[in-house]
Amino acid sequence: MHLSTFVRRITGSLLVPLALCASWGTAHALEDKLVIVTSFPEDLTGVFQAAFERRHPTTKVEVLNKKTSAGVKYVQETAGNNTTDLFWVSAPDAFGVLKNKGLLQKYQPHSSGIPDMIGSFPINDPDRYFFGFAASGYGIMYNTRYLKAKKLPVPKEWDDLKKPVYFGHVGMSAPSRSGTTHLTVEAILQGEGWDKGWATMKEMAGNFKTITERSFGVPDGVNSGEFGLGIVIDFFGFSSKASGFPVEFVYPTITALVPANVGIVKNAPHPEAAGAFIDFLLSDEGQELLFDSKIQRLPVKPAIYAKAPPGLPNPFEDKSIGAAVKFDSDLSEGRYNLVNSLFDQLITFRAEELRTATAAVQAAESALAGKSKPEAEALLEQARTLIAAVPVTEAEANDPAFAAIFAKKRKKPTDEVPQRQAEVEQKWDGFAQSNYAKAGELAKQALNKAN
Amino acid sequence: MSDNKSVNVRLRRVGLAFGDHAVLRNIDLDIEPGEFFAFLGPSGSGKSTLLRLIAGFGPMPTGQVFIGEENVAQLPPWRRNVGMVFQNYALWPHMTVFRNVAFGLEERRLPASEVRERTDAALEVVGLRELADRRPSQLSGGQQQRVALARTIVIEPRVLLLDEPLSNLDANLRIHMRREIRELQRRLGITTIFVTHDQDEANTIADRMAVLNDGILQQVGSPMSLYDNPANRFVANFLGTANLLDGKVERDEAQATFRAGCGLQIPLQHDAKAASHATAMFRPHHVSIADPGQESRPDIVSFEGRVRHREFLGNLFRYAIDCGGQDILVDDGHQVGRRSYEIDDAVSVTLDPVQVRILSN
Amino acid sequence: MSLTSRPHWGPTSIAVLLAVFLIVFLAVPVLKVVFVAFQDPGTGGFTLVNFQDFFNTALFRESFWNSLYVAGMSVMLASIIAVPLAYFTTRFNFGGAMLIQTLGVVPLIMPPFVGAVAMQLLFGSNGSVNLLLDEHFGFTVPFMEGLNGVILVESIHYFPFILTNLSASLANIDRSLEESAQNLGSSGMRLFRRIVFPLAMPGFVAGASLVFLKVFDDLGTPLLLNVNKMLAPQAYLRISSIGITDPMGYVISVMLVLFSMFSLWVSFLAFRGREYASVQKGGGGLLKRDLGTWEKLAAYAVIVLILALVLAPHLGLLLLSFGTVWSFAVLPDAYTLEHYLRVFHTSSQYVTNTLIYAGLAAGIDIVLGTAIAYVVWRTGIPGRKWLDYTATAALAVPGVVLGIGYLRTFYGVQLPFSEQPLATWWVILVIALAIRRLPYALRACVAALQQVSVTLEEAAENIGATKSRTVRRIVVPLMSGGILAGFVTSFATASVELSATLMLVAQQSDAPLSYGIYVFMQSAAGRGPGAALGIIAVIIVGLGTYVSHRVIERSRRLRTADRVVAEATAKLE
Repeated sequence: MHLSTFVRRITGSLLVPLALCASWGTAHALEDKLVIVTSFPEDLTGVFQAAFERRHPTTKVEVLNKKTSAGVKYVQETAGNNTTDLFWVSAPDAFGVLKNKGLLQKYQPHSSGIPDMIGSFPINDPDRYFFGFAASGYGIMYNTRYLKAKKLPVPKEWDDLKKPVYFGHVGMSAPSRSGTTHLTVEAILQGEGWDKGWATMKEMAGNFKTITERSFGVPDGVNSGEFGLGIVIDFFGFSSKASGFPVEFVYPTITALVPANVGIVKNAPHPEAAGAFIDFLLSDEGQELLFDSKIQRLPVKPAIYAKAPPGLPNPFEDKSIGAAVKFDSDLSEGRYNLVNSLFDQLITFRAEELRTATAAVQAAESALAGKSKPEAEALLEQARTLIAAVPVTEAEANDPAFAAIFAKKRKKPTDEVPQRQAEVEQKWDGFAQSNYAKAGELAKQALNKAN
Repeated sequence: MSDNKSVNVRLRRVGLAFGDHAVLRNIDLDIEPGEFFAFLGPSGSGKSTLLRLIAGFGPMPTGQVFIGEENVAQLPPWRRNVGMVFQNYALWPHMTVFRNVAFGLEERRLPASEVRERTDAALEVVGLRELADRRPSQLSGGQQQRVALARTIVIEPRVLLLDEPLSNLDANLRIHMRREIRELQRRLGITTIFVTHDQDEANTIADRMAVLNDGILQQVGSPMSLYDNPANRFVANFLGTANLLDGKVERDEAQATFRAGCGLQIPLQHDAKAASHATAMFRPHHVSIADPGQESRPDIVSFEGRVRHREFLGNLFRYAIDCGGQDILVDDGHQVGRRSYEIDDAVSVTLDPVQVRILSN
Repeated sequence: MSLTSRPHWGPTSIAVLLAVFLIVFLAVPVLKVVFVAFQDPGTGGFTLVNFQDFFNTALFRESFWNSLYVAGMSVMLASIIAVPLAYFTTRFNFGGAMLIQTLGVVPLIMPPFVGAVAMQLLFGSNGSVNLLLDEHFGFTVPFMEGLNGVILVESIHYFPFILTNLSASLANIDRSLEESAQNLGSSGMRLFRRIVFPLAMPGFVAGASLVFLKVFDDLGTPLLLNVNKMLAPQAYLRISSIGITDPMGYVISVMLVLFSMFSLWVSFLAFRGREYASVQKGGGGLLKRDLGTWEKLAAYAVIVLILALVLAPHLGLLLLSFGTVWSFAVLPDAYTLEHYLRVFHTSSQYVTNTLIYAGLAAGIDIVLGTAIAYVVWRTGIPGRKWLDYTATAALAVPGVVLGIGYLRTFYGVQLPFSEQPLATWWVILVIALAIRRLPYALRACVAALQQVSVTLEEAAENIGATKSRTVRRIVVPLMSGGILAGFVTSFATASVELSATLMLVAQQSDAPLSYGIYVFMQSAAGRGPGAALGIIAVIIVGLGTYVSHRVIERSRRLRTADRVVAEATAKLE
């Protein structure tokens, strides 16, 4: 039952120099335990856990692995009798949810050399409730063997993924299951605007082979070659490559470089140890651990990049990464559940219908290529519009009253919710179904006219 | 149904082994057309195995099995057209009585109307038409027995095989069913083989029977001939109680005499051959008992002894009389007021030599 | 003290304790979840509007039909796998029948989600089989596309339920029932269809309804295969997502429970039917016959084909655990022992925890199972049947629902002498596992008890043994074969349980194997070690099962009551 002992044994050699100066870290006594709720894989948590325990031998770290959404739910459900010290996940908006519910605690880390911004994103919460310790951007990961075997070109931008050549070769996770994917979706929505963003996503989604239920399902699928390309957070790509898989990762221009965060949970039973862990994450050695071949995340401390392994980009130098999108996390947070639900209703649950419509459109497009048939073109344009349509305007989506349908937590019997979520979702689902069906029909007509 | 042409069953040098263990050895047997034949023997004698062998169950036997003119030894059970009634009736619990009986006809792909007609007729024969829609579990033991019979005879088998069909019934029902089966067999005129371990059952029901022991056919014949003239000690013992005296047969020109080890001498009337080892067999009721000191007659063997045991069996007393170290069983018919003997009473015992049979060893 | 006035305080107090246990750890948590489904999201009052929403939503209707379709097709496919295996091994004399029966149970002791990963690598659209097909024949087969994948993985995982039940049923058929049909001219497939299979039907239905229920409730497999238009994933998604107080997840849970209850009820009817099938005992067991050379070859071909399919997940997992990189290729690029080394160095606590949890849970199960069986079948306490019904109803509760119910019920309860809430204590996980597996152990114990004649008890009491001593010294020892069989099933299946585990594990040091595998499988470098851990799980559980079977075999030889074990193993669903 002593995981730490074993982890220490194998990572120990890496950390011998640290152990020699371990005394300065333990100047004041910490609690004997630290409980962390995290969505990070064992590959990441194990390394930090071992290093931290080496530094603070009297403190035992307990790691509780949960998906981001389940983790938020867990912290909420257990707030009355909290046992968690640290919440440690990627998605800043998850922290936003917790912060707004008053479930986080302020902290002032002892660290230096970390700038305020990475790309266009603030690294730390201005109110000091949570802190970025590593940056991640979203992009496209692809399997080189797969692309070669299927003779597919290497994609560069999101728009490339709309191309018919990728039909049935792309995978992505649903934002409702994966906090990181939610960020990708928000980045596209904010970068391209609400309507155009949805249009882009639906056009890409028409090419999807699968929409995975877990965020790791995407890199897993690309690694095994189940599908060729995936929309993933960068470290999934980098760590897969570092583990030997024949994969590559590219950042499209429109991406948000977003920090992965850590924050102390309100009424943490071990606040001293929790603070020490944050300090450790932000220290030079903590930052350097991010270069571990199984982790491969971008540190938030620019100086550390001097020791970066080859292939890992430096966003503080390469300004093209993540600069195009100014990520508004308040906006993201306000419509968090709404965007998730909308994505599920329009894309996840109707992926097959969307795929069918897209295939029809693509068939018509290729038939029309090089011909001038305005009537058919018009029909095809109508079909594209139908596919791209969203049942909610941006203004509606950003209206807190409307978003409340998806987030309202009824505390008192007198609290009223205007509409039931199920009713709204029924409407959206009907909208998606009929639009995709009509679009497919129109595309078929266009195809007939083209021949 | 009785227009069935009866066939004979002939077994030629039939043998059967489970692995190394020989269960049946070199059996030759002829069963006549229309005969009611019984296989009789203790458990483990091979009688059920022999019956199943005729039906085609169990390991492949050596030798030949003729039903009519056809050697069926290599045929699977479903090609033999012999009907078998199992000891536990083996009615299918998931089917109604009607479906059970109709099964064999359906397997022969007969038209539905004919299946219906013949099934009804067969149920009529066993008197169960009104129970046709019941499940086997809703029937009494006797009714199940009749269903099993109906199910078998409806296919008009060449031979009817009955494997201890009465053993699961209580005593009164057994006697009743025994008569019913015999009656039915007479009506159908079908060659029938009946397996039992109960000699009374075999005696009352069979035209002829075969006694088996240890996988060997001991003797074949009518019930009476087997009882009166058993071929060996086993048959003598198995068919009723027997006194068996070891000794030898001596003869001069005129007379053969059996000299028992216990000293008793029995003049033999027929021309028995001399033998240094022989067994004399006679039944307890062939022997008479009386007060000692009776006048002896030259044609009657008599001796004196003491009563060692006695059993009261209702219609008779069975005494064991000590005769020179060997017990001789005597059955003395019982009537009210008739004198009975106590243990240790001295008695005189007489035996008519006509009743004595010499068994070769 | 006369027999009639003998006070029943002993059994009664045990019955009360059992009832309290079942209420606290099963009924209350489930009701807490169910309750939300009947709550108006606006006002909090009682309402059925949520169910109306459920049936009005096209998505839910489709999910519902998909779940039914997948469960139904899985039963079909599982039957196609199980029926020939059961038939060949119980009806014919040929070597390896024992091996097949053993290997046939192996799929049950692998966590289904691990099987899904391996199956994807072998049978996925770019898995080994399809790559080979594409290369040599230019076509591919969509084994794993959408619902197909779920059906394939589920049938391979759950077919042993049908195999064991059907084999036991076949073995119980009186030989003369079959012989009489042959005697009347029936043979071959017709004989099987008209006589043998109908007679084995109760066993088949019992197994099939279990498969139906398990597949209907299963979450892990659709989740790993990215199939979301089914009820269980829909419920999970809605219940576990951030901030959603949407009652639909709970409504779906209720639908899951209701449908599972329904298929349980069907199975109960079948179990009742089974008694009439074995009424006529006497002809002595099954008719086994030898196969001719060609028949033998054909039978072996069928069996090898089936076993290859059935053991494919294990093969895939084994390759994965030894492979370095396995990407868009028929086989891994190279082989290594590294994954095992990593697992041995870092993950031994998973193994220890699993042995402790599954062992304790199975221990609790057989104690409860024996006690409930005794109370229900050997006492006259009013309402005793409800203990049986309630405990068995646990089968119909999806792991997710129980997990959420536990969190809701026990989070507020403080563990004495510590600051920990009860819900995060590892013992709660053990209890959840015990509740989930109790139905299996209970059936085995009931079967065992029914084989112990009441007169044996009466004989002991007659010569002066008290009730409790009689139970301890006569009844329990005579039941030991069946009890052990119950222990094995509970242990083996509890070891690979994920759904409740995922909800209830509060810290990694308390986590069992299935959780460890799940966590490993969430990273690129963790796939190999996760697979290695999976192989270790299969070996541990397989060894445990094998050893217990040996013990059962021995006790069977020692005792004359060998049907005890046969029956119990049969009901080992």
